[in-house]
Amino acid sequence: MQLDRARVTIRPRSPWEALDLGCRLAARHRRLLALAWLALTVPVFSLISLLCWNAPTLALLLFWWGKPLYERLALHILAQALFDHPPSIGQALRAWPGLLRRQWLASLTWRRASLMRSFDLPVTQLEGQAGRARQQRLGLLHREDGRAARWLTVVGAYVETCLVLGAVSLLLLMVPRSAGDSWHWAQWLLGPPIPGRLWLQHLANAFYVLVLAVWGPIYVACGFTLYLNRRTHLEAWDIELVLRALCQRLAPLVVLGLLLAFMLTPPPALAADAAPAEQPRVSVSTAHQAIEALLQRPPFENIETRARWHWRRGDPSPAPAAAPAPHAAANPSEGLARAAEILLWAALAGCLAWLGWHHRLRARQWAARLARRRTPPHQALPPLFAQDLAPERLPMDVAGHAEQLWASDPRQALALLYRGLLSRLVHDYKLPLRAADTEAQVLAKVAALQLRGLDDFSQKLTWHWQAIAYGHRVPPAGTCEALCRGWRRLFPLQGASQ
Amino acid sequence: MLATGPHPPPVDTLMLVETPEGIDLPLRPAGLVPRALAFTVDLAIRGVVLLLLALLLHPQGDMGVGALLLAIFLVNGWYMVLFEVLHQGRTPGKQLLGLRVVLDDGTPIGWSASLLRNLLRAADMLPLGYALGITSSLLHPAFKRVGDLAAGTLVVYQDAPPPVLRWPEVAPAPAPFALAASEQRALLELVQRQANLAPARVEELAALLAPALGVPAQQAMARINGIARAWVGPA
Repeated sequence: MQLDRARVTIRPRSPWEALDLGCRLAARHRRLLALAWLALTVPVFSLISLLCWNAPTLALLLFWWGKPLYERLALHILAQALFDHPPSIGQALRAWPGLLRRQWLASLTWRRASLMRSFDLPVTQLEGQAGRARQQRLGLLHREDGRAARWLTVVGAYVETCLVLGAVSLLLLMVPRSAGDSWHWAQWLLGPPIPGRLWLQHLANAFYVLVLAVWGPIYVACGFTLYLNRRTHLEAWDIELVLRALCQRLAPLVVLGLLLAFMLTPPPALAADAAPAEQPRVSVSTAHQAIEALLQRPPFENIETRARWHWRRGDPSPAPAAAPAPHAAANPSEGLARAAEILLWAALAGCLAWLGWHHRLRARQWAARLARRRTPPHQALPPLFAQDLAPERLPMDVAGHAEQLWASDPRQALALLYRGLLSRLVHDYKLPLRAADTEAQVLAKVAALQLRGLDDFSQKLTWHWQAIAYGHRVPPAGTCEALCRGWRRLFPLQGASQ
Repeated sequence: MLATGPHPPPVDTLMLVETPEGIDLPLRPAGLVPRALAFTVDLAIRGVVLLLLALLLHPQGDMGVGALLLAIFLVNGWYMVLFEVLHQGRTPGKQLLGLRVVLDDGTPIGWSASLLRNLLRAADMLPLGYALGITSSLLHPAFKRVGDLAAGTLVVYQDAPPPVLRWPEVAPAPAPFALAASEQRALLELVQRQANLAPARVEELAALLAPALGVPAQQAMARINGIARAWVGPA
């Protein structure tokens, strides 16, 4: 065995890592392994299915039972590919009958249930061990990695089941509900088999063949790398690799050393002298050249080609194409294209203009709404309230009207006075009153103006208004005169003041 | 050593992460089998916890059932995330199998990455029993499932604590020729592992160096032990 030609990195690994290496090894030769596997299993499966058309479960069982035989093909390909070029599909298939000759009965009968099948296969097939020697060999190999080999088979059984059931349920999920409940995937999975659907069972079996073409080689490769890893541990393959390379490097030195040892000189010192003599002298210019060559190689010179979409306009590369413009203008198709471009742009502008005209009313509404939003909200009074307090709605001579009303209806008189006061507060003093303000809140705002006369009058009027409005207590006589006097003092009539 | 010729580089599972200092840190991504087993352990732990809670809470009436539903949500939704973020990327199952979750560059996993990779379990489960996750992990070079791809995370093997080294009690001897670092390491490995190898195999390996050492094949191993002793020093 020439370890230095191995196509995998040889180093001692944990059993789990050895399984992962098998995964990668199978992935390296994925196409070859799957095609060879299919070329072998599809005819076998077709034959079994035709023979057992009425018993799909039996067909699946028979096909499944033959797995150890198919696995020998995968191991043959993997073992060849490990040290050499992998065989072609035809070569592998031609070699297959020869591979079966050895212990095929045992692998199909009492060893069929073994959980370490793929781990043991290399011992049978590649080492050709049999009988007692095989038992001893397996005992040695199982001591460390048996556990991982067993779990590999258990997980593999789950993977096969899961992928097959997943593929079938994915197919059934695509069947529309209108096809009936008997097509529901849960029905197929959990319910009893439906007699008229034999072909569906055979289809599920075919899915198993496909899944096995992916998983089968991986399973074999994992067992194979586990076996290689165990032997790496047992026989220190990694050390052997380095030592052999070292021997090759030292070979000329050894001859020299032997020669000098013959001349009775202590070997260590000589070897130390000999080592530098081995190295050729390097001139400055050749060193520069070597450095330059090194700098051109991947870790330093790293050229990546990336393809992506971008706008043509922003690209400087069409610039040279634009340079021979006069020549292009002479081209009639160029002019046609230019005209079409202008037409298209004009059509776009026309569309935009028509849209603007069509929606001008809506645009105006928008503008109005925006303008309204800009005015601060607290200055606007609610419409009803504003109407009540509008100066036009009130008589010119509020006090005179109140005096006239007082005789017949004191309540109306006080209401008029109070409304008049609020109107004056809103319009003359610009107090920000809201419809929700209570009398006390209005008073507080008046007090904030710090106008003594207005404050006193407002308090008195509010008190009397509240007494008659809520308490139905008629104010004492003389109140009217006092209030009207106060009103006239605060808000003299326009004509009288002049 | 450049891989020349028609052969692609040898198959390996290592992922090298280069630090700004130009040092390659090797990460060892974990494949389907140990991860599936770790998940099974976690599933079993969650199942037992929820079963105990159900036995405790179910007889308490509607309120107990409500609390049980909350507990199911918390255990199923947060078990993985909390353990991964607060326990160095290890759930109990992963710890048992010697695995941990890290980001693609080997740094510890954070809340967002852990939430994302565990939320996307819903996608990995499709259509049945993690079928998509299994397929993805079998095909990806770093064995990532969809959640790992989206969150930029990697499940790696934890580094085992370094073993206690024992060196043979022999007189030190000088190496008669210059050795590269990898060659020195191989000789030290041979000295360390000679107890686990068959004696005939040790002699065979040592005999490879016998001509270069200038000793008969039977004494080569003793000589190598001496050289290793000289490198390691008196400790």
